[in-house]
Amino acid sequence: MYLTREQEKMLRGDYGWATAKAMEIIVKVGEALGADELVEIVHAHVSGISYSTIGRYGLEFIRDLARGGGKARVFTTVNPGCIDYSGYSSIIDNSLFEFQRLIDEALRKMEFKPVYTCIPYFYRPPTPGEHLAWGESSAVIFANSVYGGFTNREGGPVALAAALTGYTYKAGLHVVENRVGEVEIRVCASTSSTHIGALGLWIGENIKSIPYVRGLNYYSLDDIKNLLASAAASGNHALIVIEGVTPRNTFKLDLVERVEVDAKMLEGYMGGECHGTSILGYIGCPHTSPRELLYITRLLKKYGKPRRGKLLVTMPAEFARIYRDLILELKAMGVDIAAGTCPVVSRFRGGFDCIITNSGKALFYLKRIYKTNIKLAGVEAIVRHLGGA
Amino acid sequence: MVHRGRVKPVIPGSCNGDVVLVDSYISFFAEVNPDTGCLVAPSELCFRDAVLVFRGTRGSTVAPYIIYALRRNNTAPRCILVAEAEPMLIAGCVLAEIPLYVVEDYEGLVTSIRLAKKSAYLEVRGNEVLLYERV
Repeated sequence: MYLTREQEKMLRGDYGWATAKAMEIIVKVGEALGADELVEIVHAHVSGISYSTIGRYGLEFIRDLARGGGKARVFTTVNPGCIDYSGYSSIIDNSLFEFQRLIDEALRKMEFKPVYTCIPYFYRPPTPGEHLAWGESSAVIFANSVYGGFTNREGGPVALAAALTGYTYKAGLHVVENRVGEVEIRVCASTSSTHIGALGLWIGENIKSIPYVRGLNYYSLDDIKNLLASAAASGNHALIVIEGVTPRNTFKLDLVERVEVDAKMLEGYMGGECHGTSILGYIGCPHTSPRELLYITRLLKKYGKPRRGKLLVTMPAEFARIYRDLILELKAMGVDIAAGTCPVVSRFRGGFDCIITNSGKALFYLKRIYKTNIKLAGVEAIVRHLGGA
Repeated sequence: MVHRGRVKPVIPGSCNGDVVLVDSYISFFAEVNPDTGCLVAPSELCFRDAVLVFRGTRGSTVAPYIIYALRRNNTAPRCILVAEAEPMLIAGCVLAEIPLYVVEDYEGLVTSIRLAKKSAYLEVRGNEVLLYERV
């Protein structure tokens, strides 16, 4: 692989142990993928910072890099941790606080921006063609598909290494020739935003090459966020070209197959029936946008406080401060607020007989982690159901 | 020998042992328990110290840390053979120093493993994969 003089110095250890280790990881992964050179990035987003998911060896890895003098060379944001940073939640278990604190200290020492969210594009939306090194599968696919940013699904340690060096390997989706939509998916009018999570899960499981999706003109950006996150969970997609959304010149089309998807095909992906006495409604996977928070508030005013179960809403850590009035209003209406975390990367204090969520990604992971019944429903249907209407 | 095919070394290294086949895409996060070296879903197969053959990875980008934890817990497979290797899996194998190979005729290898009446033993020599049936 060709390295510039500066990159060689980094690899040799002239910039310290942590930078050398980070460069070694990037070069090795790049060489394995056949990259000839590295590419300069403008934003790294580091996933895998929750103690609940990475455990003590992940903690040691991150702390070693911080102790070794690692510092962010580009704007760097971080994924959710395993504790509720707002202190409002009674559902999220904060018992791993001491371990999470050690990770958070190391991240701050490396000068990463502690946003603790899976929607880093809220803080810095990428521009088309910009090179990024993002972890977090839902953020990667959103950056590529909606903003036209160029990033691979970097694993947590590679995104971290890219943050410390300012570079990543030039391969995969950093090259426009590899961003080619091959399977046209027509979404039939019989589907609605209720099915959007299921549609994502269906795409992830059934389509292996880069899809080109048509028929999403009437879906909101929050729906598209849900669809993309779900497809990246059940499959390994990092880019779904969406007609009218994905910026021109950031992808190519060479369609070899065409598929139509209707609501009937998605029934098997909607989860099981919800039985039992302890029901949790969950919205915020990926984290809620301010627009979604306003929408939930409006729905609660319409259908009343959650009476038939609890309602958990998760969001970026800073939202608890920035949108304090709105958050307190939601709390007053009986909503459990958790900021800077989510049930996928943390643990519940107690168990639930059933979870109703709008997110296909949440269904995919929560079913496996908590081994409980999960059902997909639209945001309005969740609030209506819990309100007892 | 019951099968002979070609492999592309992604992270070259010693690769031989009993085969554990999981013919699907795996999310290392939520589908693999790093403490035991066993799958949580779709089946409960254990792959500690074996040659792990599967289609490819899916899901969370936390995967490299889980693969790294497998190594540190001494529950890692000896090596991994897949149909598709994506950056996340490669990063995990680089950190954990697990040899990784992409199999050219993945379907052929899977069929041969399934046809082996007793347990299958696999060996990688250079760019070749050799599959034997245990006597």
